[in-house]
Amino acid sequence: MNPISWVYKKELREMLRDKRTRGAALFGPIFLMIFFICGFGSVIGGLSKKENLKIHFVTSSNPMLDEMRKNKVNLVEIPSIAEGEKLIKDGKATVVLDFGPLPSKVGDQQRIDAYFDPKSQKAQVIIAGIEADSSKTNKVVLETFLKSHNLPASAAESVKVQRKEVKIGEDGAGDFIVGMLPYLIVIWAFYGGFSLAGDLVAGEKEKATLETLLISPVKRTQIVLGKFLALSTVCLASSLASVLGLVLVSVLKLPGSDFMLKDGIGITPTSGLITLIVLLPTVAMFASLLLAFSAYAKNNREAQSYIGLASFVVVIPAAFSQLIGLTDAGSQNWVNFVPVLNTANNIRNALLGKPDWMGTGITVLVSGLIAAVLIGFVIKLFGREEVLTRV
Amino acid sequence: MVVVEELAKHFQDQKKNTVRAVDGISFQAEPGKIFGLLGCNGAGKTTALRMLSTVIRPTSGKATVAGIDVLSHPEQVRAQIGFMSTSTALYGRLQSREVIEYFGGLYGLSGTILKQRVDYVIDKLQIHEFADRLCDKLSTGQKQRVNIARTILHDPPVLFFDEPTAGLDVVLSQTVMEFIEEARDMGKTIIFSTHIMSEVERLCNHVAIIDKGKLHGEGTVEELKLKAGETSLEKAFLKFVGFESNYRREEVAQ
Repeated sequence: MNPISWVYKKELREMLRDKRTRGAALFGPIFLMIFFICGFGSVIGGLSKKENLKIHFVTSSNPMLDEMRKNKVNLVEIPSIAEGEKLIKDGKATVVLDFGPLPSKVGDQQRIDAYFDPKSQKAQVIIAGIEADSSKTNKVVLETFLKSHNLPASAAESVKVQRKEVKIGEDGAGDFIVGMLPYLIVIWAFYGGFSLAGDLVAGEKEKATLETLLISPVKRTQIVLGKFLALSTVCLASSLASVLGLVLVSVLKLPGSDFMLKDGIGITPTSGLITLIVLLPTVAMFASLLLAFSAYAKNNREAQSYIGLASFVVVIPAAFSQLIGLTDAGSQNWVNFVPVLNTANNIRNALLGKPDWMGTGITVLVSGLIAAVLIGFVIKLFGREEVLTRV
Repeated sequence: MVVVEELAKHFQDQKKNTVRAVDGISFQAEPGKIFGLLGCNGAGKTTALRMLSTVIRPTSGKATVAGIDVLSHPEQVRAQIGFMSTSTALYGRLQSREVIEYFGGLYGLSGTILKQRVDYVIDKLQIHEFADRLCDKLSTGQKQRVNIARTILHDPPVLFFDEPTAGLDVVLSQTVMEFIEEARDMGKTIIFSTHIMSEVERLCNHVAIIDKGKLHGEGTVEELKLKAGETSLEKAFLKFVGFESNYRREEVAQ
């Protein structure tokens, strides 16, 4: 075994025996993915089920209430609108409906006053549902009226938009996966090594093991490469752990997953390959950046301060990748030259079933180049006497 | 053999003033003998040993270790030395055996030779009992034994000891000193840095007194006492470094 392998093996062994690695870098991404999908899926999926809706109404015998009961909406009768407003203010009611008098002749309107707190997101969802149901009822009534006057039902909709999907590439993932997964994959590639990087050089200096290592006949470049490879391995494992979390949720069909993953997870051989291709140089870039801070810092604490600040450089472009679908940038070439964003965007395109091989190539070149420059910088930092004497 | 000629190391402090940590020292350490570097804290002992072990580069001067120049062949020099001090720690999350094997690998040992050497040092230093225990769980004495094992694993001809007994109790210090004596008897070239007079008197064949980066006297313990005209090494040392007690200063002033 050459010295790089010895250093790599030792660092990896130490990292894997560290609870922080096992907890934060490996189980953390799996747990977080399960939590996101099951948590959000249960909440949002629950909202879309009418039986989970609880609506208060002021005493009335309106037939629309019977329709709601048929749909298993949880209805609570209250005596007055004053009581309803009080319940909303106390947070005990979300929406209170006050049905006006029944229409007595054709052309009269059934008025429903819906009371709610405009800051309540749940109330907005319930009212949107009631409005959608009302629109359907209005349409049925109008069509019946038109038919009774020998007019075609289509006159009820003088303009109708018909959706015609143009399929590009393979079937892709649903909105949630496309929005979240690239972000999480990139973020974990950085945060996987976040807490460990400080130990690699600054921590060794602090624990007085660095001098012993430097006195060995191994070249400093070899020491740096061994440490860099070990950190890269953990960063990559951490990133892939988030994908594993997604696969686990999907395979085990955990609660909430049916709603969040209803459009598929989008992991095909092509998207998997592209993810791996763009992830490798990105991981190298992050590992060398983390190692640079560790080699420069006086101690682990100082290293963590620098790394904490640097995390914004990673989080901001990665977070933008979640919104990129709302702009035209996702398919524009300049994105491939922006580090971190390019990785997330390529993974996103792959998950959508629209791989951009040229973009993938540019991303690999850009990230690889940055990683090479950074690792050269780390070797330079590690070669200085200050790596040992700056305390 | 270690040969040092006019070796110097200058640093710049935070105010950009030049600090002469080691200021042109020369000495020679021979095989089968223990060369003592005697000095107070901050005298330049550690800096001198760090230059000889090629961890830092000298500002000027030259030195050879086992006949190899420290400036032109640092990796070869490091392969010839073993370095130990109480400040050189072990990896807490590795087992004792793993630490020893790791350094064996770094020193170029592999396969059967590595296994034989690891078994030899584990046997010699009676590490069996805790060979598979994490270093974090070891007592100070056990850690010290693993540290010694790491130092001698590759059987280096030159050994540097930088205050190896600092912070150790009497029993542990005794173990370390016995090990140093054994290494001397095996014909190793040993440089032993300390500020403890009794250790110098017991171990060192030849002593150099270092203070503020300069050598102030050199010879056997007896020769140093004779040169200083003192009966104890401690008094001789204080005389060589120009120390005067407050009481003495007042007496001279009167």
